[in-house]
Amino acid sequence: MMPPGSPGIFRRKTSSSDSAPPFSTYPRSARVSIGNILAHKMAVTGAGVTVQGWPNTKEDYELKEVIGVGATAVVHGAFCKPRQEKCAIKRINLEKWNTSMDELLKEIQAMSSCNHENVVTYYTSFVVREELWLVLRLLEGGSLLDIIKHKMKTANCQHGVFDESTIATVLKEVLKGLEYFHSNGQIHRDIKAGNILLGEDGTVQIADFGVSAWLATGRDLSRQKVRHTFVGTPCWMAPEVMEQDHGYDFKADIWSFGITAIEMATGTAPYHKYPPMKVLMLTLQNDPPTLDTGAEEKDQYKAYGKTFRRMIVDCLQKDPSKRPTATELLRHPFFKKAKDRRYLQQTLVAMGPSLETRVQKAAKRQPGTSGRLHRTVTGEWVWSSEEDGDGSSDEEFDKEKPMNNIDGGGSSGSEKDPNEGDSGSIQGMGGTISEQSSPGHSVQKSATPQKAPGTPTPRHNKQPGQQPVQQPMQPYPGTAPVIEQQDPGMMESTPINLVLRMRNSRRELNDIRFEFVIGKDSPEGIASELVGAGLVDGGDMVAIAASLRRLIETCPSCRAVTFPLNSGCGENEDPDDKALIGFAQISITD
Amino acid sequence: MLSSVGYCKILATVMPLFGKSQKSPTEVVRALKEAVNALERGDKKAEKAQEDVSKNLVLIKNMLYGTSDAEPQTDIIVAQLAQELYNSNLLLLLIQNLSRIDFEGKKDVAQVFNNILRRQIGTRSPTVEYICTKPEILFTLMRGYEHQEIALNCGTMLRECARYEALAKIMLYSDDFFNFFRYVEVSTFDIASDAFSTFKELLTRHKILCAEFLEVNYDKVFSHYQRLLNSENYVTRRQSLKLLGELLLDRHNFTVMTRYISNPDNLKLMMNMLKEKSRNIQFEAFHVFKVFVANPNKPKPILDILLRNQEKLVDFLTRFHTERSEDEQFNDEKAYLIKQIKELKPAAEH
Repeated sequence: MMPPGSPGIFRRKTSSSDSAPPFSTYPRSARVSIGNILAHKMAVTGAGVTVQGWPNTKEDYELKEVIGVGATAVVHGAFCKPRQEKCAIKRINLEKWNTSMDELLKEIQAMSSCNHENVVTYYTSFVVREELWLVLRLLEGGSLLDIIKHKMKTANCQHGVFDESTIATVLKEVLKGLEYFHSNGQIHRDIKAGNILLGEDGTVQIADFGVSAWLATGRDLSRQKVRHTFVGTPCWMAPEVMEQDHGYDFKADIWSFGITAIEMATGTAPYHKYPPMKVLMLTLQNDPPTLDTGAEEKDQYKAYGKTFRRMIVDCLQKDPSKRPTATELLRHPFFKKAKDRRYLQQTLVAMGPSLETRVQKAAKRQPGTSGRLHRTVTGEWVWSSEEDGDGSSDEEFDKEKPMNNIDGGGSSGSEKDPNEGDSGSIQGMGGTISEQSSPGHSVQKSATPQKAPGTPTPRHNKQPGQQPVQQPMQPYPGTAPVIEQQDPGMMESTPINLVLRMRNSRRELNDIRFEFVIGKDSPEGIASELVGAGLVDGGDMVAIAASLRRLIETCPSCRAVTFPLNSGCGENEDPDDKALIGFAQISITD
Repeated sequence: MLSSVGYCKILATVMPLFGKSQKSPTEVVRALKEAVNALERGDKKAEKAQEDVSKNLVLIKNMLYGTSDAEPQTDIIVAQLAQELYNSNLLLLLIQNLSRIDFEGKKDVAQVFNNILRRQIGTRSPTVEYICTKPEILFTLMRGYEHQEIALNCGTMLRECARYEALAKIMLYSDDFFNFFRYVEVSTFDIASDAFSTFKELLTRHKILCAEFLEVNYDKVFSHYQRLLNSENYVTRRQSLKLLGELLLDRHNFTVMTRYISNPDNLKLMMNMLKEKSRNIQFEAFHVFKVFVANPNKPKPILDILLRNQEKLVDFLTRFHTERSEDEQFNDEKAYLIKQIKELKPAAEH
């Protein structure tokens, strides 16, 4: 059979306005069987009555425990009363979604155009005051990363976390999901253990594509593309994604898949010990990583056989065109070792952090490991930030904080040390790249009421619920939070965290995070470093340096500067400083 | 043991999947039409019909887009296919039966439809011409928003249609257009947003057509629009306000703008929205409000309202979104508005 998802498929046709590029046949038989499963399920739960769709009113759902908290979203376990069925609800604060909602729509559509047992199931979405509620299937087993971490904590994993059968079983399911994705013309862009969820029945689903992706990214939903392209943990990222200048296709997922295979064996991504900048360098300069890249001693992972290693080598080829497609990979001999769901129930779900024996604290998270849903001492799932950095040795779950205060940002319920600050940044090469996550940040923000337009306009002197403190913190892209300027004395020793926000060659917004140490760094030096790292166009170096200087030296009260780029904007774009088309912005993030 | 005849038969049925010896466009269109008809009848063989629909849709899709190891068909074959689709009336039939087609098949219909729609012969778009003679296709697609399970597929096709002025015109001037005011407010977020983006496309894509439409239908459109601005649904309110700003500031819509900013009720609404709890809505309202103030020929009722609130407006604007310090354009505009309002004088009585 022809492999769906080969390069030919991505040929641009006369117009690219289709949300899903044309793709070759997705095996229909698979779908039929899903249909049967669903029909069967309905018959059982509905006692012959066809269960109608998922309701769109908040009254029809009972929100249960918070299973995740992000800066702009809270995820609850929930119960749908009319259907008598559990689900997960992500509540997204739309006030923090600053630009048009087209992008948001695109992502939700990507999700709703998927119907596959290995892709997280979207049920419906609706608006509740200023929130968007997404109703999704609840996967109670948690993420593969949680299970890895639990296992590493409770058992000796020196020579490997899971046996090959378990790995093959999980990864085969992931591949089936990926194959479907790719046949739909979608690229996941963030395949890793943290994004693979397990149902209690051993179901494996890929989560966190598109819409889910930005849920975890931080305060500004309009910046969702960020982590797809750069921010986040580069450990799983394909070299061509890092290089950013040629664009990339679904083969990038195959690279990440290969890294995930290593992660399942060794417990971590190969370069997890290194700061993100270094990871970029290593990935770009070195030979592709292998199972043994992160090994501390010789033969540490000798238990893993040749077939498995070959599969990894196939995936981790620097030339994307040499990597197999998901379909081709499914035929790899390694996946002959795959077993069924029940096997996963035994090896993973049952072994996972059980309700009673939940770990007191999550294992110290290594820089470079991902995080998404985590279980806490109380058995709750929390949505933790992507990057904890190496300062996060003490990951107390702070129960005192309100769990669902969306306005307050992402601190609550996060497994992170609330004092850790915003960036969870990882030191290295004078620069850090990190995910936005923001306990400390939001605390500061909430403590600083914004100057709200409190003066009523005459004739309408009723102020509709204007309470300054509850004002959304980040109403527009690039609006720096109102935070007192730091004591200048402190600033000399404290690095300033900055973020350069600009579009990449794919016209997606990127956040490039870095530090600036006064007295040590110079704007020009940083700018050339950014160019040197291939992160920005050389033509923009001067503009970036000048803006950085303006921000740091000449304008102490500024929190952000927006400036035009020499590299300009795309062919069919008009420069727009708000949408950062033809413009970039540097801001201090604290 | 297989006889050689039997073996050839097997090959003949299997081959189309592999190589170039595909069904001819005539055959595949006929087969698809039969299958859709069977599906519509909903008789016992529905499952088989479903399967045939899916299979033949994939065949057509592959002819148009190619597969991983086959190029798309030649222009001649594609032309033949398009012609068969027109002659058989299959496009309409597919859309009418969209809800009966399975999940992936629905997506295939949209892909096939959009590809055929984009087909060009020189500067001509034959499918556009065809649809102009079959506007029922457009009306059926628009009504697709009434049905949850096909709404997004229909939206994908509608937006492709809206790119063509001739088709956009048919949609704008149809009675069904005003249903969009309902569709953009449905409770399912993705459907409402999808409808909104189609609605927006129709109202903004072809500037002259849109301006004309808005002028001719001013009262009807803006009375409906008012309801969107006052919607209970935050997203509807915010999106419609943003679109209003874009419509009014488009120079093609000058006449419409002039009319809009002469109505004191509209000014009052914007002043109220400036004070909404949502800062995003405040900000969008600002961009409509500024048009009232910047108008050099303010009608008396407008001027009266502004004068009555002169001092408080200045005060309000001075404190309005002050954290937006790096947004130069906004600050310039704000400063300009403050200055304008400060300098307002009652119109000289004649």
